[in-house]
Amino acid sequence: MQPNDPLPEPMVNVAELLARVDNDAELLRELIAIFKVEFPRHLCALREAAGQENLKNVQKSAHTLRGMLSNLGTTRAAAAAARLEQLGDSSDGTALKSALALFESEVTGLLPELEACVAKAKP
Amino acid sequence: MRILIADDDALSLRLLERTLERDGYEVTAVQNGRLAAEHLCRHDGPRLALLDWVMPELDGPAVCREVRQKREQVYVHMVLLTSKESKRDVIEGLESGADDYLIKPFDPAELKARLRTGLRILQLEDRLVEAREDMRFKATHDPLTGLFNRGVIMDLLSRELSRTHREDGCTTILLGDVDHFKNVNDTLGHVTGDEVLREIARRLLASVRSYDFVGRYGGEEFLIVLNNCNLPSALQRAEQIRRAIASTRVQTARGPVPVTMSLGILASTEWGVLPAEELLREADVALYKAKDAGRNCVKVASSHVPPNVPLQSLEEHPK
Repeated sequence: MQPNDPLPEPMVNVAELLARVDNDAELLRELIAIFKVEFPRHLCALREAAGQENLKNVQKSAHTLRGMLSNLGTTRAAAAAARLEQLGDSSDGTALKSALALFESEVTGLLPELEACVAKAKP
Repeated sequence: MRILIADDDALSLRLLERTLERDGYEVTAVQNGRLAAEHLCRHDGPRLALLDWVMPELDGPAVCREVRQKREQVYVHMVLLTSKESKRDVIEGLESGADDYLIKPFDPAELKARLRTGLRILQLEDRLVEAREDMRFKATHDPLTGLFNRGVIMDLLSRELSRTHREDGCTTILLGDVDHFKNVNDTLGHVTGDEVLREIARRLLASVRSYDFVGRYGGEEFLIVLNNCNLPSALQRAEQIRRAIASTRVQTARGPVPVTMSLGILASTEWGVLPAEELLREADVALYKAKDAGRNCVKVASSHVPPNVPLQSLEEHPK
């Protein structure tokens, strides 16, 4: 990264997330608890569909993940999910693998970032 | 205000639920389109709905189509909430019957403002329905007594007579007239006369069954249609009515007013298939017989005395 390069977008847009939950720490904790259960389930389904190169199911899982991630202000991960969702029927295996790899990299370490936001909300 | 939210994403559903509860909504949350349609199609279901597009069993547009088809009487304001954002999707969503369209992730302030728009539309609809019902009531009821007006009671009588002929039953007509009502108006004034008529209407309604019909036929004349009621039972009912009118004076602002009623009865089984107007003419003849007999009594318009009714009960009625 060069000194004049723009700062990379953070994993979690904290201000956006806190606005979504109306700065309610209890609600945020509840959403993170749901995320812990739901996210791995849908990620697993996505990996399985990608492994089978089943684009329809890839799109379905990516759609659900995008919705979940965008509600949590995780803009970059949501954009990576959108890229998977938008893969057309003509997309080849390489494009799929590359989009999946980008998505996986965007969601790595996401949970601690989200949990750190709880402290910034009202107790 | 009750609102239904439907989303198969548990996280999105909980976030929506809490956001709306905080704004004062009573929220029903479901995770598939089938359940959403079931709730919204109930006659007492929520009238405001926020529906995800992609859902198991039934997607958002299919829910909109089903609700528009099945719940015609009451309007349901439906908003599609989805990450599908192409113009084609927006058009498809609105064409399915949705009233509004919001892109995920929702902005809480925009969501609340859009729902308030929906509430304003529902409130406007409520006012229009109320006005329509008020007009319907005024068109079918007598403004003074609140009873059916002449046109409606005649229609009801005709309909009952047709049903009676089809089912080989018996409809009985009671035509009642307040005795010496002109004297009430002349001596105590029309305001008191109106008070008397309102109280008589109340007593008539209290004296019949829930499925009988009572209407104001003319000035002080009332028409009562007793459904599935044979002559002996109708005679008893007519006596009850006569007593209910005569037994207690009507309390008015000008003091208690004694009132009596003469009644003519006609049972359809005694007259064969005749139009309502002709039967009423015969009931009117019976009513005038009651007037001639000294008023405050019941007389039967009968082409012959039915075998199961004692002669005395047809001719001798207390005054």
